Amino acid sequence: MNEPQSHAEDCADILKQDLAAGRISRRDFVAALAALGAVSALPKRAGAQAGELVIANWGGDAVRHFGTAFGQVVEQKTGRKLTVDGGGPSMGRIRTMVQARNTVWDVCDSGAGDSLELGRLGMLEPIDYDIVDRNKMLPEFAYPHGCANYMFGVVLAYDRRRYGDNPPTRLADFWDLQKFPGRRLLRKQALAMLEMALIADGVPFEQIYPIDIDRALRKLRPLARDALFWANGTESQQHLRDGECSMGLIWHTRANLLKRETNGRIDWTFNQGILFPGIWIVPKGNPAGAKTAMEAIAAMQDPAAQVKLLELMGNGPANPAARELVPAELRSVDPGLAADRMLRSNGRWWGENTTIAEQKYADMIGT
Amino acid sequence: MRRSFGGTYWLLILPALVLMVAFYILPVLSVLVISVTEPEPGFGNYALLATSGPLHRVLATTARICVITTIVTLLLGYVVAYGLAHARPTMRGLIFFGVVLPLWVSVLVRAFSWVTILRREGLLNNALLEVGIIEEPLRLLFNEFAICIGMIHYMLPYAILPLYANMRGIDRRLISAARGLGASRPTAFRRVFLPLSLPGVISAGMLVFIFSLGFFVTPAILGGGRTRMIAEYMSWLILDRLYWGPGTMIATMLVLTVFALLWLLGRFVDLRRLFGTAT
Repeated sequence: MNEPQSHAEDCADILKQDLAAGRISRRDFVAALAALGAVSALPKRAGAQAGELVIANWGGDAVRHFGTAFGQVVEQKTGRKLTVDGGGPSMGRIRTMVQARNTVWDVCDSGAGDSLELGRLGMLEPIDYDIVDRNKMLPEFAYPHGCANYMFGVVLAYDRRRYGDNPPTRLADFWDLQKFPGRRLLRKQALAMLEMALIADGVPFEQIYPIDIDRALRKLRPLARDALFWANGTESQQHLRDGECSMGLIWHTRANLLKRETNGRIDWTFNQGILFPGIWIVPKGNPAGAKTAMEAIAAMQDPAAQVKLLELMGNGPANPAARELVPAELRSVDPGLAADRMLRSNGRWWGENTTIAEQKYADMIGT
Repeated sequence: MRRSFGGTYWLLILPALVLMVAFYILPVLSVLVISVTEPEPGFGNYALLATSGPLHRVLATTARICVITTIVTLLLGYVVAYGLAHARPTMRGLIFFGVVLPLWVSVLVRAFSWVTILRREGLLNNALLEVGIIEEPLRLLFNEFAICIGMIHYMLPYAILPLYANMRGIDRRLISAARGLGASRPTAFRRVFLPLSLPGVISAGMLVFIFSLGFFVTPAILGGGRTRMIAEYMSWLILDRLYWGPGTMIATMLVLTVFALLWLLGRFVDLRRLFGTAT
């Protein structure tokens, strides 16, 4: 239960709750069941059916929503029917699959760090930037073995009830316990927390990487003494909703849910948040072939399809061209539109330093 | 147990024993062996016991929480067991029911119940605010205090039952004799009953302490992600960071500690009686 969770896993959780809370109609529910049933996570056949393209994500209704958003464009471009498998493309599963020469997924919803690690182990097809358009994503989010499929943020959320007419607007406020008293909520993993500490300490965006881990921890330590730490999205939402914490650094998708369910009592801002990409990767030996997988990724760069995903799940379009298509009511929740106010996460730095950073961070929490 | 029956009994438990060895003991050992093979053969992982600051802090936190839990559990458990041993049958039945009932409630449910009671806008804080005893909600949850409460709650039956078993065995006439010889009630308790109940206290204390070492869910929920005890640290090393060497080293040390404590316990009390096998 307290395993650290990735953003994609959390999206699946959110959608499960939507279903339970009746925010999804019965017809949709039946359709979702069918979708889930059709793509059982069990190791089924040894390879996809001919004429199929299999995307793996983290389950729940994300299965259905990926299908709704991307089904058509993928079929148009590749002539293959899109199947979404919610089996959870973790590093371990992909590694096992590739090593057993039994890859059943064509394209997987992963993260920058995993793509670098799996790429280094030779488990992934390199992204073919002759087919996938490098210009349809932020330049920072095009990696050798993975490229952006959507974007999300870690943002500053706060309790309006506590701060009234003078709410916090930047990370320095998050660190200012005099002006903004109240318990803070931080993530249990170092990712994004170190960057945010440095931003609050006055480091300009372009000088954050390479991260000075010790400086960030010095900044974090006084806050951490009294803070709570979330390991998964549900927890982050719960601590702010219950008033245990009056300010927190959490995923924008959760912040948005909080704002909705508390009628605006919990509010949030993209300002000085950290922008992350969800990353498409293609495991070695994928059933449809590497070229087809690249074509599918290229097809899913379609702005309208990406806006559809924003509408369904809150995940922001990776393609900057989609910005103009975002409808008025969603403009405030699209991380892409706020990209210039946010720091773009550097997956390469984290790929090389995760272990030492996480170790020092965890130790800081304990002291 | 007479010798001639011994052989037959051993045959009867042989299948179970083989199963245990094949499917439990051997796999566990093969995991523990990793502690001397990864990342390189040798005792490098064990050197961490002396050198690793984070490990020292986790061990200190674990020891502190386990000792506090054990002491408070013993104090509370002693009172209840004393009451049980001296209650009339009907009353005793009721108390027993109350003691044993929580054993059927999952540890997860109990931890979340404490969240409901202790949180900022929870039952306790709201009640205190209503009555006007406090002006600001108290910080009762997400700290070591909350962890201790959750663990003590969980461990109480494990203290009460051995204590009660021991107290039932104390000859009540000894107290009467002490009283008859002029001892006051407190003196009779302090000089006669208490010393006679010490084996119960020691075995209950050991049981509670050993159980406390392995707590995982309760600290995770009631600690708010702030407090890391040994079980969570192990899981973090092994599942999250894939540091199997250090993780299994800690597991090995934990197993050895438990065995050492059991051995120590065996020097004070009859283990077979404690675990209910003696006739």
